[in-house]
Amino acid sequence: MSFSIGHKFSDDSKRHLAQIIDNINAGIWEYNITTKDIRWSSGFYLLLGYEPGEIECSNHMFFEHLLYHQDKPAFLAALSNQQSAITQPLQIRLLTKTSGYHWFESTIRKYNDETGHIIYGSLININQYKQAQIQAAHNDAIYRDTLKIAKLGSWEINAASMGLSLSKQLYDIYELQNHVKLSLDEAISFFEPQYRHVIKNAIDSAIAFCQPYDLELLFRSAKNNVMWVRAKGIPIIDDFGKCVTVHGIIQDINNKKRKTLGLESSLNLLTDQNRRLQNFAYIVSHNLRSHTGNLQFMVKLYDDTAVDEDRAEIFSHIKSISDSLSTTIEHLNEIVAIQTEITRERTVIDFEALFKNILSALKSNIEALDATIELDFSKCPQISYIPAYMESILQNLLTNSLKYSDPARKPLIKCHTLKDRNHIYLIFEDNGIGIDMERYGDKIFGMYKTFHQNPDAKGIGLFITRNQIEALGGTIKVESTVNIGTKFTIRLV
Amino acid sequence: MNVEKDAVRVCLIDDDQIYAFGFKTLTKLKGLNSQVTHFSNGNAAIAWLKNSLNRDNLPDVIFLDINMPVMDGWEFMHEFADIKPQLGKIITIYMLSSSIDLNDIYRARKIAGVEDYIFKPVNGYQLSEIINLLQEQRETKNYKYRS
Repeated sequence: MSFSIGHKFSDDSKRHLAQIIDNINAGIWEYNITTKDIRWSSGFYLLLGYEPGEIECSNHMFFEHLLYHQDKPAFLAALSNQQSAITQPLQIRLLTKTSGYHWFESTIRKYNDETGHIIYGSLININQYKQAQIQAAHNDAIYRDTLKIAKLGSWEINAASMGLSLSKQLYDIYELQNHVKLSLDEAISFFEPQYRHVIKNAIDSAIAFCQPYDLELLFRSAKNNVMWVRAKGIPIIDDFGKCVTVHGIIQDINNKKRKTLGLESSLNLLTDQNRRLQNFAYIVSHNLRSHTGNLQFMVKLYDDTAVDEDRAEIFSHIKSISDSLSTTIEHLNEIVAIQTEITRERTVIDFEALFKNILSALKSNIEALDATIELDFSKCPQISYIPAYMESILQNLLTNSLKYSDPARKPLIKCHTLKDRNHIYLIFEDNGIGIDMERYGDKIFGMYKTFHQNPDAKGIGLFITRNQIEALGGTIKVESTVNIGTKFTIRLV
Repeated sequence: MNVEKDAVRVCLIDDDQIYAFGFKTLTKLKGLNSQVTHFSNGNAAIAWLKNSLNRDNLPDVIFLDINMPVMDGWEFMHEFADIKPQLGKIITIYMLSSSIDLNDIYRARKIAGVEDYIFKPVNGYQLSEIINLLQEQRETKNYKYRS
């Protein structure tokens, strides 16, 4: 039954009001609890896709047919709410004639008149809005999950105030539980010290010169987890081209980056080994060839010579070639041994004790040159290393310093160790004749490279030393000034 | 026609003493009309070439080893290019090495003023050919000069 038909309104004004109710773009319903009388406006039918009166206006129709079963308890609860005359609008799903369930919102009001307790309300279709809301919530959930999977957080800097705001996900990366407000400097302080100025400069130049940036940096979270992150930022400009905001992301790329770094270090290792192999091939090619060439040469001359005296001289050369050949083979053995000994167990070595041993072995050389040797291993007295290598390294360096001491002054040789973070350094210095670095540079570590006319120079010592150091993952660097001295800085581990 | 022949002046720059001995012995054995001067490295050779007292004894040909201490063959070529204009004599240079590294060979061939790259040890025929060719060139020059 509609409001305008058979209603007790008798006046024209009341009839007019009823017409408005029927034509309003909403459904009006009324239920008299006492008389069980129920009324729906024309709009009510139309909202559901029916012509007025097309379906039976009854409690049964509403609760058993139109109202979605899951929304029934909430609706009944709202109806029976005795607390106040006005309850919150309720969102319910109702079955429309042709397009399934739609979301509606209904107000629920109560009043009493002479006929009894009356409940009424107005119904509007909120389906589009509700769908959009559900879609938005869904998108939001996907967005949150995506960021979580990508381990990615975002932030924003206001260029004018330099105020910083961080997304929830970024707080997760920072591992900060309560989302405390961070200043830019505080946010930057979570990066490892050596990278702080990098990110600071990048942000400064994004603001000052609108330069975007994309960096990979080491980051330490509030819970002390150190990880690689990708920090990317883009400036947002105003109409005048000035940066007003910097938008950025920080992404946890730890796994990938560590793998990349691992690959890089394997590559470096391979490159090093390859270089050693090339060196090896070079000496086989050059050095052995020059000896065997000489041997052939001498044998041929021996055959072609008739004079006994000449033959004797040629034969003496053949003997010395034979000695040189066996020395070269020994050197090759030493180089091959570096690669095979690398698997030997490392033991803890006492620098001082080992060095004293070497000093006593070279005692006569040291005394002959009246050399002073200063040792200081207090900063790092011990190291886990392959003993044979350490002995060979120290002995080579010491022998070199003695061999290339400057006759114009008393040799002074200093050796000390240093410890820095995870690395152990050995520093070895002398005041010898030095080497022209500009001319020779790193060639001094090459094989069979000799630079002075020293008859004892074989050009193998530093080559072996470098190979031993590098085989255990260290590095050796040299600084030298002619007539002043030479300094080797060795990172052992 | 058989005029007295001037010996071809040969300069050998090599730190390998045995090779130097062999080289000299070979020239003697082959009966080559040559006079060999030996230096143990590039630096000693450059110093000798620069010395004006040796102006009349400059070599006709230099056999230059690559790997040597103090000054190697490459550095010698560099220094030699600087002093070349002051020498007043064309000197043929052969680079010698036991290196079969192709990079060394290409590098040597690229240097202006290097006649050729010779693998060590040089054989008697090759040496004879080089010395005899130089001898002929000198005779032609002398002949022209005389006529």
